[in-house]
Amino acid sequence: MKRMMAGLGGALILAGGMAHAQEGDALLEMSWDEIVETARGGEVNVFMWGGADNINAYVSDYIGGLLEDEYDITLNRVPLSDTAEAVNIVLGEVEAGATTGAVDMIWINGENFRTMKQGDLAWCGYVEKLPNAELVNFDNPAIANDFGTPVEGCEVPWSRVQFAFAHDTARTDAPPRSIPELLDWIAANPGRFAYPAPPDFTGAAFVRHVFTHVAGGPDALIGPFDQAGFDEVADETWEILNGIEPHLWREGTTYPTSITQLQQMFANQEVDLFFTYDPAEVGTAVVNGIFPETARSYGLRDGTLANTNYMVIPVNAANKAAAMVTQTLLLSGEAQLEKAQAEVWGAATVIEPDRASDEVQAGFAALERHPSVVSIEDLGQAALPELQADWTSAIEDGWIDNVGN
Amino acid sequence: MIGRGHPWLSLAPALCVIAVLFGGGLVLGLAGSFGMGRGDAGLDAWIAVLSEGRVWRSLGLSLWIAFASTALSCVIGLGAALLLRRRFPGQGMARLLFQINLTIPHAVGALGILWLLSQSGFLARLSAGAGLIDGPAGFPALTQDRFAIGIIAHYVWKEVPFIGLILLANMQSLGDDPESAARSLGASPFGAMRLVLLPLLWPALIRAGAIVFAFSFGAWEVPVLLGQSAPTALPVLAWQRFTDPDLAARPEAMAIAMLIALVSAVLIRAAFAGRE
Repeated sequence: MKRMMAGLGGALILAGGMAHAQEGDALLEMSWDEIVETARGGEVNVFMWGGADNINAYVSDYIGGLLEDEYDITLNRVPLSDTAEAVNIVLGEVEAGATTGAVDMIWINGENFRTMKQGDLAWCGYVEKLPNAELVNFDNPAIANDFGTPVEGCEVPWSRVQFAFAHDTARTDAPPRSIPELLDWIAANPGRFAYPAPPDFTGAAFVRHVFTHVAGGPDALIGPFDQAGFDEVADETWEILNGIEPHLWREGTTYPTSITQLQQMFANQEVDLFFTYDPAEVGTAVVNGIFPETARSYGLRDGTLANTNYMVIPVNAANKAAAMVTQTLLLSGEAQLEKAQAEVWGAATVIEPDRASDEVQAGFAALERHPSVVSIEDLGQAALPELQADWTSAIEDGWIDNVGN
Repeated sequence: MIGRGHPWLSLAPALCVIAVLFGGGLVLGLAGSFGMGRGDAGLDAWIAVLSEGRVWRSLGLSLWIAFASTALSCVIGLGAALLLRRRFPGQGMARLLFQINLTIPHAVGALGILWLLSQSGFLARLSAGAGLIDGPAGFPALTQDRFAIGIIAHYVWKEVPFIGLILLANMQSLGDDPESAARSLGASPFGAMRLVLLPLLWPALIRAGAIVFAFSFGAWEVPVLLGQSAPTALPVLAWQRFTDPDLAARPEAMAIAMLIALVSAVLIRAAFAGRE
């Protein structure tokens, strides 16, 4: 019985896979104009993390408005608290053999992209069809690799982000500017620092900073996972993190469970330092009155992690043509410039501005940033590459087993 | 023609819904926990889950939350029902106030508890303002705490009216007669309550308590908002596994979910058996 069910499932997956492969192939045979005509009048269901109102408004109103006006395409934004939820939907559909899936596009990177690529859940090989793909330098290793997983035409970059810390100049005038300084600062200021417990995305990124520091820099950690190398660094990392535990918020008996909680704790002055994978968020929080005007984001001397985030089209997406039109629109110079405006989002672009129109170039040159947001130039001078997904999941699991219990 | 045919026939629509939606989910979850539809089916996920210390710690926490919430809700709910059944001026108003939070969703209630009891919450600020503690952070940790006080406080706040409502309805259908008979045969008021009323109410209390237990043991939204980072309540752990980017963790998520259903069913069965 068990075998019969598994066999039946396998046959369904196979049949389903063939059906949507054909549909995708048909699109790849078309010219761009034909693809746009196929997409016209349809809809596109975009699944993305929905925790920031300004990002939601940019996608729903600005991008959605352009799609509606120019292509008569309706953009449905489906908010997620965790990107893995969308990956789970696609996985469930593909396992059940559903060829017209509910998900047309997912905002994604890192482990979730690796899962989709390994599970053959991502639609690949269409990227060069997009007219605006020529604005992107796909030879840049920071764009060609998503947390160490080669992109290989299976997703389209959207924004660059780099990790930054934040402090309130009115409370902490000289914040620690390296991991060793931070560790000393924590011991000298008991109860005033906390980080969200992995598997929270930002909390896990903080742990990777300590891990990279212990490893003596990122060079030792680049490349495929290596258990011996991991063990060597991990033991010392857990020792350090367990060592600071008595000086953390609540003496480390518990950790914040999400980055949102840490943001509230910083706003409520329960802790003195905040950190984020999107420094523009600090400016947004000041504008919204959540953080005081004296809040400032800053980088570390020995560097902070940087990554690129992407848009992926699932292999069984029902509206692939509309998703392609949306992706090329997201990559346009105008949309990337709008997204980079401080009052809209302040997200760093993935296109090469000098490949775009003169107006877009002038726009990028004239960009103003919120005074609370660290400049991309200051931050970008010391950017650390993200580790491969096998490393990141080993670090998360190791933290949970050795520190978080 | 509902009610005229064979009982099974009349029940068929309701049973179909239960069988398909509830039974179907249970069967699929069980199949998923054995890794079916994913190549090599087997007991790997169950072995991994049952041999993991974290799962047992989470189970312990969830049992503590469920037992404590159920016991406190039953005691306070019973007491409130006994007080509210008497006639007194403003009784209608008192009953309305007692029941009003039945309509509030759990997630909203949990956020309210957070605003009230957390270390940056209302009570913490009030105490700091009154000079009782040095700063809001000096307030005792009542949310995200080791003993799950915030979670239990939420469930008690939410379930006391539920228990009370069921007992009040039960007392209304019993009427005053059994107690009056006991009193006329010489029982004291307390004796009449203990020996006559409570045994009559016991079945309803067990049933209502079982519902509270099953909910507080299996619900996710309250512990995710008010719980500490480790150990997490069992449903939170199941959800973490389900959203783990590593697909191999999904059968484990299903196994934990099945464990929740199994433990809940066994304990509730035992409570009913104990009554008989």
